[in-house]
Amino acid sequence: MSVTQHLSYDVLNSLQEIMEDDFGFLIETFIQDSQDRLEKLHRLIGSDDFDSVRRAAHSFKGSCSNLGALRLVSLCAVLERKALVKDIANLGIDLAEIEEEFLIVHQKMLDFIA
Amino acid sequence: MAISSTVSADGAQVTIYIQGRFDFSSHQEFRNAYEKLNKTPSRFRVDLQGTSYLDSSALGMLLLLRDHAGGERADIEIVNCSQDVKKILLISNFEQLFSIQ
Amino acid sequence: MNDSRSLKILVADDTDADRLILETIVRKEGHQVFSAKNGLEAVAIFQQEHPDIVLLDALMPEMDGFDAARQIKHLAGDEIVPIIFLTSLQDTESLVRCLDAGGDDFLSKPYNRVILKAKIKSFNRMRGLHNTMITQRDQLAQHHQRLLQEQTVAKQVFDNVAHSGCLNASNVRYFLSSLAVFNGDVVVAAIRPNGNMMVLLGDFTGHGLPAAIGAMPLASTFYGMVHKGFSMSDVLREINKKLKAILPIGLFCCATMIDFNFRRKRLKVWNGGLPAGMIYRQADGSITPMRSTHLPLGVLPEKNFKDDAQFYDVEEGDRIFMWSDGIHEARNLDGDMFGEERLLEVFAKGSEPVNVFDDILASVKNFIGSGEQDDDLSMIEIRMDAPENLVHPNHYFIHRQQLSPVEWEMRFEVKPTSFKSFDPLPFLLNVLTEEPDLRGFSGSLYTILAELYSNALEHGVLNLSGNLKKSPEGFAEYYTQREKLLSKITDGFVHIYVAYSSNIEGGSLTLRVEDSGSGFDYNARQGKILSTTGYSGRGIGIVEKLCKTVRYYGSGNKVEAVFAWINDD
Repeated sequence: MSVTQHLSYDVLNSLQEIMEDDFGFLIETFIQDSQDRLEKLHRLIGSDDFDSVRRAAHSFKGSCSNLGALRLVSLCAVLERKALVKDIANLGIDLAEIEEEFLIVHQKMLDFIA
Repeated sequence: MAISSTVSADGAQVTIYIQGRFDFSSHQEFRNAYEKLNKTPSRFRVDLQGTSYLDSSALGMLLLLRDHAGGERADIEIVNCSQDVKKILLISNFEQLFSIQ
Repeated sequence: MNDSRSLKILVADDTDADRLILETIVRKEGHQVFSAKNGLEAVAIFQQEHPDIVLLDALMPEMDGFDAARQIKHLAGDEIVPIIFLTSLQDTESLVRCLDAGGDDFLSKPYNRVILKAKIKSFNRMRGLHNTMITQRDQLAQHHQRLLQEQTVAKQVFDNVAHSGCLNASNVRYFLSSLAVFNGDVVVAAIRPNGNMMVLLGDFTGHGLPAAIGAMPLASTFYGMVHKGFSMSDVLREINKKLKAILPIGLFCCATMIDFNFRRKRLKVWNGGLPAGMIYRQADGSITPMRSTHLPLGVLPEKNFKDDAQFYDVEEGDRIFMWSDGIHEARNLDGDMFGEERLLEVFAKGSEPVNVFDDILASVKNFIGSGEQDDDLSMIEIRMDAPENLVHPNHYFIHRQQLSPVEWEMRFEVKPTSFKSFDPLPFLLNVLTEEPDLRGFSGSLYTILAELYSNALEHGVLNLSGNLKKSPEGFAEYYTQREKLLSKITDGFVHIYVAYSSNIEGGSLTLRVEDSGSGFDYNARQGKILSTTGYSGRGIGIVEKLCKTVRYYGSGNKVEAVFAWINDD
């Protein structure tokens, strides 16, 4: 099943309540961290180190879930599952989809802060 | 020797306690314990638990008590006697005159 | 109360954003946060800060959460440090892996503040309980240690006091339960000045220290009195009195006491509550039981205590056995008791008399089998022997002294200046009771001395007439006059002469009292029986009944009373 919602505003609102003045810093941190992770995934996808791919996807999924990026969570889960069963078909396309989704989420977050 | 006494609530019995040597030195106090009472009791107890020793003058004092209490009709118990004290009482045949325990 | 306490919480997550969120939540709950980016850092910070709770991400670089958890649990040791795994892993295998590594719980992503708060609270409560338990466990261990130490000391004191005396004499064999301090068995033995041996075997009811506490006054009374020559009745009476006073209701001491007279080859036995001891006769192998005929010590008040004993004549070589109920009550695996019948069977076997002691022990041991401890019993064997054969390694009494007679004389004069204020009787009685043989007669001796002295002083020196005492008022008047005359007296005397003579069989005490008065017609009172009438005049009658002879001489101002006794134990 595919999830279409990019961001849960419930989650973002809760986070804002918790983080208060540090909310902006949280968003920045997430963005930076996510970009690093995507880069790493990129590097890993060419190799046959499926275990590392799986773990990287799992990690990223976790942090996305904390920030309410629901579609990203779902896409990471797919990648994670594929890496688990060593299904190399179309891994590159899956990653591209994730990167694209991330750009959308990034923008939406910036909009939210503004 | 030290004499103390208690009287029952209804005044019918007086108990006299002798502490130490029972001899002539406190014969006046002994007398007072059974004479100077509001009501004449009908029963008398002499408690010798604390009595270490008894001499012949004490025997005389007991007889004085007995006469005061009615002689033949007197109701007197001598209780808590030690071995030595009991021996003297029995040698003197006092069990014929008093109830001795 | 501890729920709201501020805790130290370690957060380890390699994702910056996730870690930041957690830190903020935890801080907002009022706790102090320490952060780690990976497993290595987590362990290092744990060592440094000793947090109360640890939140660990499962998948981290350098060292993952599983290894970090294992190390942290190891470092924590006895203390409880709850570890909550942060994970979105949901498969059973991974979750089991978390628990195996030492994880106590999971928190899934996305982090829920309410849930995290609840978990922290719950784990904190658990920690509190655990710490209480550890503290109490340590206290218990300490108390137990102290108890063991106290028991060791108690046992030493007990052994010194309650199992000593002349038990190492050459004709004595004994076996004491190693649990004696806990089962209340006491054996004391001592040599009397006259050469007899007095032995007491006691079995206190109750167990443990309360039983041992009763043993102290029993032993010290026993040794104190036996060495001074008091008779068995006196010793029993005194021990009974002491135990009755100190032991709570329901606690008492079953005991057998035996006075061994080696010269006369005779036993004097008092048994209150113990199984019958046995006399094993060497001549024909027959047994004479010495049964319990009294209540145990510490039950009856003094005036009801019965000290009468049984006498048994024995031969040289006869063996006398005393035991507590450990033998009779020894149980085998089926729960049967050894009982008296089996004991009699051992005697009936007819082995050499010298081996009977060991036979009994072996028999009991075999009976118990592999059941309980086979040494929870106490038994003593004493062989009747000729006095000259007995060897007592550490008794204080020199053998030879017993056989020679003792004699001494004393003269004492009371002068007018002393009549009023000095009462010579306590002093004289004190001197007399230094003689062990006389100690049992102190009551009678006091009576005799008092009557003789008061007659000498009042009728002799003061010349008071007993006729005054014919009425109650006269009685009072007599003593008033006595006071008056005493305060005025300037001359006169009372002489007291005491001669003591004793040997192994008995002795006599001669008392002579002479006063400075004019005497009286003593022939006239010959043969008068003790009257029960009259307030006075019975003093001499009492003295006559207590003494062997009483005679007057001189003008009636001298009297001699002879008090005699036989040592029939």
